[in-house]
Amino acid sequence: MARKQQPALPQAAITPDEEQAQAEALFNSIGDGAIAADEFGKITRINPTALHILGFTEAEMLGQWFPSTIIAVTENGSIVNIIDRPITKAFLTGKPVSEKVYYLKKNGQRIPVASTVSPIIHNNRPIGAIDVFRDITLEYEIDRMKSEFISLASHQLRTPLSSIKTYSHMLSDGYMGEVTHAQREALRTIINATNRMNELISTLLNITRIESGTIAVSSKMISVDKLVQDVVKDLEVQAGDKNIDITIKLPSTPVRVKTDSLIAKEILSNLIANSLKYTPEGGSIQVRVQRKKNSIVVVVKDNGVGIPKYSQDQIFTKFFRAPNVLKYETTGTGLGLYLVKGLTEQIGGRIWFESEEGKGSTFFLSLPTPKRAPQNKAISGQ
Amino acid sequence: MANILIVEDDKDLNAAYKIILENEGHTAESAFNGKEALSKLGTFEPQLILLDLLMPIMGGLEFLQHYELMTKHPDVKVLIFTNMENSPEVNEAYKLGAHRCIIKSWTAPQHLARVINDALESKVASRNPTE
Repeated sequence: MARKQQPALPQAAITPDEEQAQAEALFNSIGDGAIAADEFGKITRINPTALHILGFTEAEMLGQWFPSTIIAVTENGSIVNIIDRPITKAFLTGKPVSEKVYYLKKNGQRIPVASTVSPIIHNNRPIGAIDVFRDITLEYEIDRMKSEFISLASHQLRTPLSSIKTYSHMLSDGYMGEVTHAQREALRTIINATNRMNELISTLLNITRIESGTIAVSSKMISVDKLVQDVVKDLEVQAGDKNIDITIKLPSTPVRVKTDSLIAKEILSNLIANSLKYTPEGGSIQVRVQRKKNSIVVVVKDNGVGIPKYSQDQIFTKFFRAPNVLKYETTGTGLGLYLVKGLTEQIGGRIWFESEEGKGSTFFLSLPTPKRAPQNKAISGQ
Repeated sequence: MANILIVEDDKDLNAAYKIILENEGHTAESAFNGKEALSKLGTFEPQLILLDLLMPIMGGLEFLQHYELMTKHPDVKVLIFTNMENSPEVNEAYKLGAHRCIIKSWTAPQHLARVINDALESKVASRNPTE
C-alpha cells in the first residue's frame, strides 16, 4: 500500500540573532580549544576550553591581535616567527594548516598543543580563521616515558650481555687457559647469540628515538676516510668468518664532512653489516667514498643475493624482508634499512640503491656538504 | 706500555678489563666510581682512562667535570665505555673531552686492546676532539 506523503512542515524562519546563538553554541561546545580571528588577525571569539587551556579571561583576549596574544614557541623556547605561524600560513594558502607547537599560557608556562587553523573563506577570499587546538601534554609525557623506559631497559639488558660477551671471548681467546675445539665452537655460538641480541637492542633503541623525535644529533667536522676505516675495522671479524674481502677506495685527498659521527657510523655499520649478511662466503664488498658538488657519497657495493625488482620499493619499509632473503637468512628483523633511512634523514642525508637479484646491491649514502666549503682549509686542517 | 685507570662499577667487567689490559702489557688500576677514580689519581698517573658513564656515587660525566687533567695533564686520553649508545650523555662526554666512545656490550677483548692502543698512539688531544 502506498504510503501517504506527509505535507512538508513549514520552515521556521531563523533570525540572524538565532543564527548567531546557534553558531555560538556550536563554537562553545567544541571539546578542544577554539579561537576565531577576523581578517586582520583580531580575536573575535574564544570558547571556554581555550580559556581554560591558556589561563586567560575572555575580556583579556577579545579584540586582541591573535599572534601577540597566543604566543607560539618552539621546543627550545624561541618564539615562532609570525610568517611560520599556522594562522599566517592558513591565511596565505587559504587551506587548513595542522601543526604541533607550544603555546604560552598567561602565566608563562609552555604547553604543547596540536593546532589546526582553518581559514574562513567568503567570496573566494579569507575573511578570518579558526584555530582549534588540543593540549597534548599528556601525549608528550607518555612519549617521553616510553623513550626513557626503552632507553633504561636497553641499558639494563646490555649490562649482563657485556659480561657474557667479554667472558665468552676471554674463554675462547685462551685468557683462562686452553680450550678444546668443541668448547671454542660452543663459545662462538654464545658470542653470536649475544651479537644478535645486541643488534636487536640497538635497532629497537634507535627506532624508538627516531619515532619519538628524541634522537640527539650533534654535528661536527669528521673525517669520512677514518669513519669508513673504523667501521670496516669493526666488522673485519665478521667478514673473516665468511671469507669476504672488504676493500676501501678513498679519494686522493682527505674527505671531511660536518655530520653526527655516531649516527653516520651507525648508518654505515648497518649498510656494511647488511652486505656481509647477504653476501655468500668468498664474496666481496667494496666501500667507496666519492666527492660530489654539494655532498660526499659513500658507496657500499656487494656481490650478494641482491633485491628482487618487485620488492625494491618496499625495502625501506618497517619489518619488510624480501622473499629471497627469507630463504637465505632467517634471523633478520626487517628493521635495519628502515632504521638506516630514518637515521639518514636525521642528519640531512639521502640514501638510495641499485640492485639486481642474484648479482648484488649497491647502496649510496649522501652526506651534504656546506655550499661554500672552505676545501683547502679543511684539507690542511687534517 | 701504559698506565690505564679502569673506572667501571660492574665488578666482573672491571676484573675482565684488568686481565685483558695486563695481558697486553699495560699496568691497570681499578676504580668503581668517579669519586674513587679521582682519589686514585693522587697516586696513579694514567696515560688513559677507561670510563663508564652510569655509576653510583659519581658517574662518568660528573667525573669528567671534576677531572682537571684538561689543564694539568692534557695528554691523558679518556675512552668512554658505556652501553648508552647515541645518547645525550655520550654527546656530553665528547663535549667534555672524551677521545672515543665504545659500546661495552659490543666489545671483544681484542677490539678493546686495539682501541686502547690506537688511542694511546693517537696525536689528537684528548680534551679537544675534532672528529
